[in-house]
Amino acid sequence: MEKALYNFLFIGRGLAITLQLLAGGFLIGVTIGTALAALRYNKICSPIIKGFVSLVRGTPLLLQLSLIYFSVPTLFGVKLSVLAAGVIAFGINSSAYVSEILRSGIESLPKGQFEAARTLGIPKYYMWKDIILPQAIANVLPALVNELIDLLKETALIATIGGMDVMRRSQVIAAEQFEYFIPLCMAGVYYYVLVLFIESIIRRIEKKKSYA
Amino acid sequence: MLKIRGACKSFNGVKILDDVSFDAAKGGVLGLAGPSGSGKSTLLRCVQKLETLDEGTIEYDGKTGFMFQDFQLFPHMTIMRNLLYAPSLKDKKKNHEKRARKILKDLGIEAKAEEYPNSLSGGQKQRAALARTLMIDPDLLLCDEPTSGLDVATIEDVILLLKSVNKTGVAMVIASHDLDFLTKISDRIILLKEGRINADVDLLKCNVIHFSNNDPIEYLKQYY
Ligand SMILES: Nc1ncnc2c1ncn2[C@@H]1O[C@H](COP(=O)(O)OP(=O)(O)O)[C@@H](O)[C@H]1O
Ligand SMILES: [Mg+2]
Repeated sequence: MEKALYNFLFIGRGLAITLQLLAGGFLIGVTIGTALAALRYNKICSPIIKGFVSLVRGTPLLLQLSLIYFSVPTLFGVKLSVLAAGVIAFGINSSAYVSEILRSGIESLPKGQFEAARTLGIPKYYMWKDIILPQAIANVLPALVNELIDLLKETALIATIGGMDVMRRSQVIAAEQFEYFIPLCMAGVYYYVLVLFIESIIRRIEKKKSYA
Repeated sequence: MLKIRGACKSFNGVKILDDVSFDAAKGGVLGLAGPSGSGKSTLLRCVQKLETLDEGTIEYDGKTGFMFQDFQLFPHMTIMRNLLYAPSLKDKKKNHEKRARKILKDLGIEAKAEEYPNSLSGGQKQRAALARTLMIDPDLLLCDEPTSGLDVATIEDVILLLKSVNKTGVAMVIASHDLDFLTKISDRIILLKEGRINADVDLLKCNVIHFSNNDPIEYLKQYY
């Protein structure tokens, strides 16, 4: 019993890495993804962004993560920590998906919202920031939450480059004690509770939405 | 003064505006009549530069305001914020709220200032959209189908409202398929048909000359 508790707490210490990856990755993903979604409406940027999104979606995340962790030091001479490489890789990957999600939210808005902003002389930057994107984000909130939940589960890939996250710690316990079932279930509990927590917060936000 | 010369516009190879030319007097109310699909909205949108002409020119030396048929209020902002948003970007220091309250009061919807557009009736949304446009001080107001979806009593209110706005020196071009409404509010009506000017009547001057039975509606209907 004491050993089980020790194992559970040992795995739980991986939350620090898991949550940092999730928060950092999602922050970057939403920030860059939002910019990409808006810049898709710029004639010059549009083909570049399309290519980027297609590339990111067309290759495995594991490959992207490895590429950043192992190749950036040799290509650019900067040594990345496991955490930094993870945040960058998950952030970039997520930005492609977020930009696609937001684009569908933008496209569901009436063209007249853009036109109304124009007729009122609202500069483009402000039109995107205060008129278009807030509505687009509200439209696709459930899809964005799904992306957050997907990202949470994908952070487990950090184990492949040695990050001591929840997943990796459960594997360590399993390997040490020749017992896989319980430690892996414990890791599962951590992920699942986090997912339930994210879902409950979103339900609360959705209820608060004051218009529509 | 609005000056349109040889305006042409096609969509997908179909000519929607076909050599439209006219001048509109300063301060006047010009009605754009015509059946659905005759190019009224397209012409208004070209004046506002929401569309570009294929040929011809539109000159206007002032600031235009545009009222959309479906209002296009910003649904995630209160009415007050709908009014204040654009002016406060232009002039951050000035307090625009006092003027916004006055406009809302003049239009009879001051009680709705803190509500969201979706809780307003059609007529109230119309007023809110008008108020938002007035906040940017246009001297030419372009209105696309301002009576669509409104009941008869509300339409009478819209007439009074637009007339009172016109009295403050704001010229108007109003596109509507409702001849009855247009003759009540306009001092001149241009009737479009298949993108061409099919009739052009000055309701202030030419009554006797133009209209059999003195009825502009009957007269214009011949050109529909
Ligand atoms: N952006 C557009 N793309 C394609 N066709 C258009 C577009 N805007 C208007 N049209 C067409 O132009 C014609 C005239 O439209 P419109 O100017 O809205 O007429 P009205 O306002 O008099 O009813 C319609 O048949 C419409 O389908
Ligand atoms: Mg129309």
